[in-house]
Amino acid sequence: MDLIASLTVNGLATGMLIFLLAAGLTLIFGLMSVLNFAHGGLFIWGAYAGVWIYYVTNSFLLAIIVAIVTGLVLGLITERLIIRPVYGNHIQQILITLGFMLVLQELIKVAFGPDQKAVHPPAWLEGSFQMGDVILIKYRLFIIAIGFLLFLTIYLILKKTRIGLIVRAGVMDREMVQTLGINIRFVFMAVFMVGAALAALSGVLHAPYSGVIYAEMGLEFSILAFIVVVIGGMGSFTGSLFAAILVGLAQAFMAYYVPALSLAVNMLIMTVVLIFRPQGLFKVKG
Amino acid sequence: MIGVILKSMTKSNLIYLGVSAILLILPFILTGRSVQFMITQIFIFAIFAMSYDLLLGYTGIISFGHAMFFGIGAYTTAIFMDRFDASFGALLIAILVAVLFAAIVSFIVGILTLRLKSHFYAMLTLAFAGLFLVAAEKWRTLTKGNDGFTFKVPEFLRDSTTIYIVSLICLVLIFFGLRRMTQSPFGRVLVAIRENEERTVSLGFKVLHYKVMVSVVSGVVASFAGVLYMLSLRFVNTSVFHTDVTIDVLLMTIIGGVGTLVGPILGAALIELAHHWISGLANVHWIFERWIILYGTVYILVVIFFPLGIVGTIRSKLSGGSMQKMLSKKKAG
Amino acid sequence: MSSLLKLSQVEAYIQQFHILHDINFEVPKGEVTVLLGRNGAGKTTTLRTIMGLNPVSKGSVVFKNEDISNLKPHLIANKGIGYVPEDQGIFGDLTVGENLRVAMKREDQETTERLDWILDLFPDLKKFWKKPGGQLSGGQKQMLAIARAYVNENDLLLIDEPSKGLAPIVVEKVMETILQMKEKTTILLVEQNFLMASKIGDRFYIIDDGQTVHNGLMGELKQDKALMKKYLGVS
Repeated sequence: MDLIASLTVNGLATGMLIFLLAAGLTLIFGLMSVLNFAHGGLFIWGAYAGVWIYYVTNSFLLAIIVAIVTGLVLGLITERLIIRPVYGNHIQQILITLGFMLVLQELIKVAFGPDQKAVHPPAWLEGSFQMGDVILIKYRLFIIAIGFLLFLTIYLILKKTRIGLIVRAGVMDREMVQTLGINIRFVFMAVFMVGAALAALSGVLHAPYSGVIYAEMGLEFSILAFIVVVIGGMGSFTGSLFAAILVGLAQAFMAYYVPALSLAVNMLIMTVVLIFRPQGLFKVKG
Repeated sequence: MIGVILKSMTKSNLIYLGVSAILLILPFILTGRSVQFMITQIFIFAIFAMSYDLLLGYTGIISFGHAMFFGIGAYTTAIFMDRFDASFGALLIAILVAVLFAAIVSFIVGILTLRLKSHFYAMLTLAFAGLFLVAAEKWRTLTKGNDGFTFKVPEFLRDSTTIYIVSLICLVLIFFGLRRMTQSPFGRVLVAIRENEERTVSLGFKVLHYKVMVSVVSGVVASFAGVLYMLSLRFVNTSVFHTDVTIDVLLMTIIGGVGTLVGPILGAALIELAHHWISGLANVHWIFERWIILYGTVYILVVIFFPLGIVGTIRSKLSGGSMQKMLSKKKAG
Repeated sequence: MSSLLKLSQVEAYIQQFHILHDINFEVPKGEVTVLLGRNGAGKTTTLRTIMGLNPVSKGSVVFKNEDISNLKPHLIANKGIGYVPEDQGIFGDLTVGENLRVAMKREDQETTERLDWILDLFPDLKKFWKKPGGQLSGGQKQMLAIARAYVNENDLLLIDEPSKGLAPIVVEKVMETILQMKEKTTILLVEQNFLMASKIGDRFYIIDDGQTVHNGLMGELKQDKALMKKYLGVS
């Protein structure tokens, strides 16, 4: 029982981090049909910028803020320089964002050095709670809490506010939204920046969780984010939460029970989804 | 017979043959093993890149897991050479198995995803390549895992000049074969799919058949490139399945020029040389150690400003833009 | 007669296809102008081109004495043009209320009054306020689309084939509504249903093969059987 509980907490924490990463990507795709393979680059830049500040100031809170700001700024740059020239062309988007991903990843090595960096959670998040037989690691609970809070916040924004309705309407029919007098490019840029900030936040939260960061995580997490978005249904915000948790739990349980397959578990889930339900778990209605 | 061949030669074919002839003489002038080895690598990656061009350049399909076919060819060869004797017969069987295996895998991936939008093929090939990588790492009894293993190849292929010439001949044959194919009615349907898939469907072509077929041909050629790679390297490890291999071949195709077949050959030469020379400049300036930044930047600029790549851009300048502006075509949704 | 909208020698392409060759017409303020013509003549493209969804390659589109050709769609909309597309463009996952809220630029007194007025015309919308737009019937979708275009204070409404695919009784209802809206706004209507067009239209233009070939008052058209047969296939 304690084992299952602990694996579940692991899986949920991983899932939440993946969700933060994938949420932006799925909205970006849904809204402007943009495929962004540089998303992991924003993740890794958030991680490094945050960790650097964390090293310097020893304040994890400041690290989180810096990561978010890094995400917003990089998001703006990416949208302006990389995505704008290739709107409407999937093949070019895939090619160019992949190239940008590599550049972002190498620039990490230039800015912060090529070696991997070890990261520990801050003192106030270190340690664990004991509940009966179950040991709950504080930092994991912290991640789960932040993830759920952000999911709820974004969900409510999408559901209740006019700007949220515009984003959802844009995902369904972006032409119609424009004819209602709404500048969809502006909305998209804002969504892109928020998505980038979420990815960067995911990066900095991931650092103490995995204990180590390295530049190549950029491409790995770009791919992971895409896998999750495909599983959840491209463009579906709620779908990305379910898919992320599914992947997180699958990773946690596989790592324990069938370690040989744990590396392949994402790919296996995506393959099954692509074969039996290519539109993903949650389909976005037009 | 020869007369007929010569008559059917166009000017460009003569140029290609001329270049091939020069390359054929080259190893007798450049006798250094390492130089020959490097040029051999270029030939092999040129074959690999041409197989990628069939997908991306001619049909408009993006694969993120092309390394898997290369790796299938590589591991099949390595395992056969290791487990059986390093005879010519065993090699032939290995090639046959490698090609069949790649054909089956590419057929399955193609059938599953080529009816969907472009990114699904990209993602499923990525997934399959990931699975092959894991298999190669975990199935240690067969693959010896991450560390890989060395093996012997048939006696006559051990000389670096011989493998150079074998690779060159394969490159020339495959180049002319694929050129033939892309200029045939089959190739024209592929281009039509790339330009406007819906219209091709409405003209009554079974687009899925064509796409699956080109995916199989591409997989087979890539697998064969993997076989040659093993013959020249005589060592295998899991790196043949890495995403880096796919990215390299993608860069070769894009920078050289999509949809041209010659472009990827040029791209292969450029990237291989860059790997070689630029990393040698690392102690001149740190930026050369991070040469991917330069490459990535060049690549991004190429995608935005010269989507036809080197060869495509030159050709369209020469012929006044007869190459369709394939990548600049707007395609929403 | 002051014209609110004027198209002069407009040409337009969809990809490489030359769809509009020479479109000229004026929409006088306070009237219902109807674009008639066969399927594929270019009526929908004309509306999309006015709205900025399709580029104008030649000619001018003048709205309230200002050239709006090739402005971005949202800028054109904000000049005071509402658009009801052929497929209604309802956001399927959004409720009726949310569909209207996306459109409402302000939530002030005036907008609320407009909303109340149009909801009185379409009580169904009030009834299904919380139902997702995708689950409405064809007629309800049409009404929602019209309400959505009307709720902002627009000077001109472009309505593309409101009768398409609707049962005759529903067509009747839509027609009545448009007649009532006519009191408050100017309308440019594309319509295949000649009966409906002739009842609510003041003035007509016939588009054939991307050109405006004929125009006049609706009353005259009803008399001219030969013309109707030639361009509209109505006898």
